Amino acid sequence: MRIKRIAILALVATLALGNVFAQKTELNFWTWRPEDTEKYQALLASFEKQNPGVTVKISAFKNTEYNTILSAALAGGSGPDVFQSRAYGGLETFAQSGYLEPLDAWVPELKGFDKAPLGGATSIKDGKVYGVPFASQTLFVFYNKAIYKELGLKVPETWDQFLANLAACKKAGYQALANGGKEGWTLEVMMGSLAPNFYGANDFFQAVVAGKTNFQDPRFKGAMDKLKELTPYMPDLFMGVSYTDMQASFINEMAAHFVGGSFEAGYFSSQNPKLDFGIFAGPVAKAGDPRHVSVYADGNFSMNSGSKKKDAAAKLLKFFASKETGNFFINELKQVSAVPGADTSKSPYIKEVLSLQKFNTPYIFLVGFRYNQPTGSALFQSAAQGFFAGTLSSADLCKQIQDGIATYYAPFQKK
Amino acid sequence: MSADLRFASASTGKKILVAAVQVFFVLYCLLIFYPLFNMIMSSFKTTREILRFPFALPKSLDFANYKTVLVDRGFGRFFFNSLWMTGTTMAFVLLFGSMAAYGVSRYTYRLRTTVYLVFLSGIMLPLKAAVIPLFIIMKRLDFVNKPISVILIFIAMSLPSTIFILSGFMKAIPKDLEYAARIDGCSDWMIYRHVVMPVVTPAIALVTIYNSVPVWNDFFFPLVFLQDQKFKTLPLGLTNFFGQYSTDWSLLFTALSLAILPMLLLYAFMAKYFIKGMTAGAVK
Amino acid sequence: MHKKNSEKLWIAFFVSPAMAIVVSIILLPLFMSLFNSLFSWRQLIRDEFVGLENFRRVFFTEPYKTRFSNAIGNNATWLGVTMLVQNTLGLAMGYFLSRRIRGSEFYKRIIFIPVLFSIVAVGFLWGLYLKPNGLLNGFLKLIGSPEMARAWLGDEKLATFSIIAVNIWRWVGFPSLVFLAAIDSVPTECLEAAWMDGAKDRTVFFRIILPLIVPSILIITVLTIVGSLNVFEQIYTMAGLDGSPNYSTDTIGTLFYRTGFGSVDSGNPEIGVGSAIGVIIYFLTLAASLVSIMSLGKQEVEL
Repeated sequence: MRIKRIAILALVATLALGNVFAQKTELNFWTWRPEDTEKYQALLASFEKQNPGVTVKISAFKNTEYNTILSAALAGGSGPDVFQSRAYGGLETFAQSGYLEPLDAWVPELKGFDKAPLGGATSIKDGKVYGVPFASQTLFVFYNKAIYKELGLKVPETWDQFLANLAACKKAGYQALANGGKEGWTLEVMMGSLAPNFYGANDFFQAVVAGKTNFQDPRFKGAMDKLKELTPYMPDLFMGVSYTDMQASFINEMAAHFVGGSFEAGYFSSQNPKLDFGIFAGPVAKAGDPRHVSVYADGNFSMNSGSKKKDAAAKLLKFFASKETGNFFINELKQVSAVPGADTSKSPYIKEVLSLQKFNTPYIFLVGFRYNQPTGSALFQSAAQGFFAGTLSSADLCKQIQDGIATYYAPFQKK
Repeated sequence: MSADLRFASASTGKKILVAAVQVFFVLYCLLIFYPLFNMIMSSFKTTREILRFPFALPKSLDFANYKTVLVDRGFGRFFFNSLWMTGTTMAFVLLFGSMAAYGVSRYTYRLRTTVYLVFLSGIMLPLKAAVIPLFIIMKRLDFVNKPISVILIFIAMSLPSTIFILSGFMKAIPKDLEYAARIDGCSDWMIYRHVVMPVVTPAIALVTIYNSVPVWNDFFFPLVFLQDQKFKTLPLGLTNFFGQYSTDWSLLFTALSLAILPMLLLYAFMAKYFIKGMTAGAVK
Repeated sequence: MHKKNSEKLWIAFFVSPAMAIVVSIILLPLFMSLFNSLFSWRQLIRDEFVGLENFRRVFFTEPYKTRFSNAIGNNATWLGVTMLVQNTLGLAMGYFLSRRIRGSEFYKRIIFIPVLFSIVAVGFLWGLYLKPNGLLNGFLKLIGSPEMARAWLGDEKLATFSIIAVNIWRWVGFPSLVFLAAIDSVPTECLEAAWMDGAKDRTVFFRIILPLIVPSILIITVLTIVGSLNVFEQIYTMAGLDGSPNYSTDTIGTLFYRTGFGSVDSGNPEIGVGSAIGVIIYFLTLAASLVSIMSLGKQEVEL
């Protein structure tokens, strides 16, 4: 009698619970791109249609505060079910702290992804994949096609041609280069776009990561000296020129070149739809040399290991690994999707970026040296400001980077 | 009257001094009004215009941005949330803060210095530094995603400096006033309420404005603790205009121009008390 | 005895609400987080007790040693310049406003407006005025000295001072109003008596007003110390978390935040070392405040 009652109760409970699950599962999804929220909502609506019973609530946070807020929420035992996570060192923090769910089993689609973007989603500690990579970024030079046409310039292949073009633009009264140095990271982008062809791209990268050489290598120092040759073509008092100023001068067609990343294009076009810009990879010493561009994984979608809705979260992540999301990145966000086989036919720009990636090399400090403090990026950015302002020599610059990284990087420590 | 710098009988040196002071004040006022003007004008421009011609006047005074911000982006609601959260915060800050200031400045007792130091030590480090433990505490209290979490934090953030400033002013009130009231049979509460508080009105006005500005403008704690759309505050809404590689300056300035309004009104209202305070001082 | 007890109750009544909130919402989490300085950390997870190791790292090992001494030097600059320029200016402004110079009623209603600006607006607008082709350089060109043009925020030697100048622009109204309120509450009889005796304005100011407003000087001094040792937002909005350019505007506040939370794009927050820096800021501020309270407190004149 009693047993029967309990059994009935249990049955009712199971049914009720089952009902709850069947009714609705709401996933929380966090991103650091408030500017894309509206577009994401359209994508997520498509997901919800394909997965009845699962809804997604998106919250966007200011990029600069995102890590802090995510840390606080995860450490406090809550946080979103699915969220954007940074690549490389930024991923490591959350992966090693145990807040990320390894995805190898949940999202089998990851097996088809390229090694390069997966590198940004893989922990260097245990080799497990903790994220679905969403985009890769490429660093190169934007140029204004109208100005090139007006001055009869040709897209440069060698460094000397590049300098000659800059000189011609300057002479014609244009700002030859938009780039300034108020924010150190724009200098790092400049290094990533233009230096690899002079420091020896992948050869140097592999050697320096293995500790076979270091940043005081004459190749690296030489590349830095090359960068310094650009200062006459940068704006007046360029150390005071901020990123916003740089964007404004290129968008408003006052500057002929903008050394930047593939992530710029969307904003350029939205601000000035008439702006006709082209792109080229960093110039080389002599014609015919392979022209390398720096490439890095931008970030991933990850799952909170403490989530109570892992099945639904996995559905969302599989969706993020699908071609639909890939196409969304290309067509809506103008980003180079990391999803294999995404369709680039509707976006000539993305196609062009991909063609520049033919010779690619890891964005050196981000990919290799952002796992500990002080990061290679932080060291470069600050010292480069001194270098461009003229208070540090290229030897000082290289030494500061080397000494800073050597405080924790084992391959640099054994002499 | 005697407090004036008397021009008529003043020496040449003093006249020059007064003229120089006037020049200084006029310049400073210009330096205040120009950015204000600049900010409001920018709210009528597009982002591209702001970046291209930052100092030019807008082509037209089109209020479309204001409509976008208030209606489409939901700032009407954010505005309202900010108003009542800041209002509630300040009410408690002034009540508890002035009480505590009274408690540490108008009595002599053994623990006084300790109590004073405990309050004082609360301003030695920004609370932002402790966001993770704070989150854990709020979660345990089940306050996460409820307005009470940020209101409590704002109250706590503002109390130390309020107590510090007010107790400084309360200390300076002559004891005789209090003795007289005590002889008349006033309780401690009545002395606090009817003797001490009226005398420190200028200081109250000062701490009100000093503390409500950071509370009104803070986006960090609402960002961490309030994820629900219906509780979002104005500065939190502002953060939506900051993209990773792009900022919507046009809408941002619209929202900023709206956001400064209540503070300007509050300040205009409080400034009255500085002048009142002056007469109060004269009577005394 | 009975009176004593009721007084105790009154004190408890006045002090306890604020005390409860400050202790539970500020001091408790702050000490919880400062406690972290005694541990080693594996990313965001607390590892083992290491005593004062993190403090040793801040003071004696690279890169923290260099960064810390550089940052604290900048904090000293902030403190010195703010004390000297902002507070002296504030005292002068408060004094002249209290002397009811022409327009003082108007100025009184204006000078606090910069504080009302959100820091975001301040950062952007002053960024516009101080950038290479901004208003200040334009003005210098206009008055015929374009050679004075500088990258005010991008020059290692100038950036800190430019940011301090903007901060003074923003905050000078506060000490002005505090001093104004204080001077206004100086009993008029005192001043009148002095003037009757034929005392000069200068004598009245230094001999009568200044000694009587010591409590407000104390308030402003302590708040300046706290503000200068904790300066963060101003740097963050105008120079970034790294104290650009080349750490020339870095302060212990930005260093603390960067170390404890990691910078925007890079991982591995050093929570242990970061918390140690936090502890140092905390006790430094407390010590400096106590010293000024004790030394200025002696000067206080009882009425």
